[in-house]
Amino acid sequence: MMFGDFMMGARSRLLPMSIPLRFFGAAVLFHIAAWGLLLGAAGDAPGFMGGLGHLLASLHFVTLGVLAMTAMGAAFQLLPVATKRPVRSEAACKAAFWLMVPGLLALGHGMGRGDGLVLAVGGLLVAAALTLFGLLVVDNLRRVKDMRVITDQAWIAMAGLLTLLVLAGLLVADYALGGFLGNHQGLALAHGVVAAYGFMGMMVMAFSFVLIPMFCLSPPPDVKNGQRAGWLAGAAVLLAAVGLALSLTPLVVLGGLLGLAASGLHLRVMFKVLKSRMRKQLGDSFILVRLAWGLMPLSILVGLAAAFGVAPDRTGPLFGFLLVFGWLLTFLLGVLQRILPFLASMHSVRPGVKPALVSALTADRPLRLHMITHIAALTLVSAGLAGQWVWLVRLGAACGLVAAVSFALSVAYLVNSLRKHLNNQMQHVEK
Amino acid sequence: MFGNTQIGTLLHEEHVRTIQALQSLEEYLLKQTSKRVPDVTNEKVRELLEHLLSDVAAEVERHFGFEENFLFPVLTGRGEGGIAAFLTEEHGTILPLAQELAETARTALNGNGFTVEDWKEFHHRGVELCEREIFHIQKEEMGLLAAISMFVDPAADADLAAKYREQSQAA
Repeated sequence: MMFGDFMMGARSRLLPMSIPLRFFGAAVLFHIAAWGLLLGAAGDAPGFMGGLGHLLASLHFVTLGVLAMTAMGAAFQLLPVATKRPVRSEAACKAAFWLMVPGLLALGHGMGRGDGLVLAVGGLLVAAALTLFGLLVVDNLRRVKDMRVITDQAWIAMAGLLTLLVLAGLLVADYALGGFLGNHQGLALAHGVVAAYGFMGMMVMAFSFVLIPMFCLSPPPDVKNGQRAGWLAGAAVLLAAVGLALSLTPLVVLGGLLGLAASGLHLRVMFKVLKSRMRKQLGDSFILVRLAWGLMPLSILVGLAAAFGVAPDRTGPLFGFLLVFGWLLTFLLGVLQRILPFLASMHSVRPGVKPALVSALTADRPLRLHMITHIAALTLVSAGLAGQWVWLVRLGAACGLVAAVSFALSVAYLVNSLRKHLNNQMQHVEK
Repeated sequence: MFGNTQIGTLLHEEHVRTIQALQSLEEYLLKQTSKRVPDVTNEKVRELLEHLLSDVAAEVERHFGFEENFLFPVLTGRGEGGIAAFLTEEHGTILPLAQELAETARTALNGNGFTVEDWKEFHHRGVELCEREIFHIQKEEMGLLAAISMFVDPAADADLAAKYREQSQAA
């Protein structure tokens, strides 16, 4: 029933538009900042193996500023609709936002400048925001008895969130207190894998089960294989993270292989959804979604190459880039450009008011420019990291910056168009 | 999603037909563009406009009428009036648009075709119809059909399916 439940309850359980929009708006701005920081620190990117600096700040502006921020907005908006349980407190959603934004700015500053104290304060605020988010999601999931495929994956994502917060706390404390960890780099890699695959990746898989059939007008996906993919992915993350933290390469490799199997299963389910769709034209957004699906197993393959010690100074940075900027960011941007006008149109339904057309809320040209420059950015930066050519990384980051600004313009257009539509319609009703 | 009720299956089958027709119309309109006035003496253009607009408008009217007169009262009686009110609100936007377009197409086909201005307006409104109706079907497929499977009991299901078939045959 879950897909039907989603739309059936959508209107009655939608939060005020301002709540998800503030998260999406912040994500759009952090997206620009992330590419901007990568452009500024392009010289450090080839051969990057971790450590404080603007590159690390850029990475966290994507993972926390764009991915986690969007996941928060989307979860607060969509999870209660999908699970038919309202969010416990709107004030808590707002509080999470107001902890996250200054926290992330301080964290980015602390990482960029190597300031341990600011880093710790920022880290605490971000951890508080994510903890609040986690508690709200867990509270919602706890009250759901059906929809196992989504809730299983969301529970694994929450376990991933808890683990990544513990690891992040250790890493920040290690920076602030002058280094007490024996294997800082191993823990940092484990933290990255848990955050990207265990938290964000599982959120992506869970939401895909609701959103992709909805956009494609397809019958419900294969629930059994979806559940199997979720549990396989959870096991893969656990093995890889333990292997990285304890420097046990066989465990990392086993985790990677299980991860490949999980991604294969997930993609099989998604392609079946695409094949059985009623809506033929899916638009540019699905070019990004398909690209992201391809980058999901590719990131694991490159990660495995790094684990085997194949040119780790090239495959290591490339793995991180393909995972975060490639799979996760590309998928999110593809979905976000569909979901924003969809939600805005749902919010425009008022008694006596014509709902806004999705096409009237969609800025085609900025989105087309975004897609082209985003793909160019991924290609150029990947080539630059593989070949260790700084100029190519810089050129790619510049393309990414253009893409991020274009995306922001499309969101500004949407907000402005929705406001105009509602004003015009309300005036019409009053007359 | 819809397989466990007769009425859900019937409505879904009609959605599939309507979506196919609307996607053909949308494809044609986008290919033709709002600037190129079509030649209504062309056999293919006539066929497309006659089939798509007369049939789509009639089907939309019948489909919406069935839902509002027979199906929504059952759902409202089971405490699911919210979705019925929401979809009825959308019907109020889509049906007049479909009827207006059918009328314009009929006038063009029976007379001297479209003027540049008429075609521009027709094109604009036609694209709007495709978008609104496909979005509406999306909501019905994902929401209404699930509501039917949850809140319509077998006896009411059989009764609704019989009424639906009766109405379709009469049309």
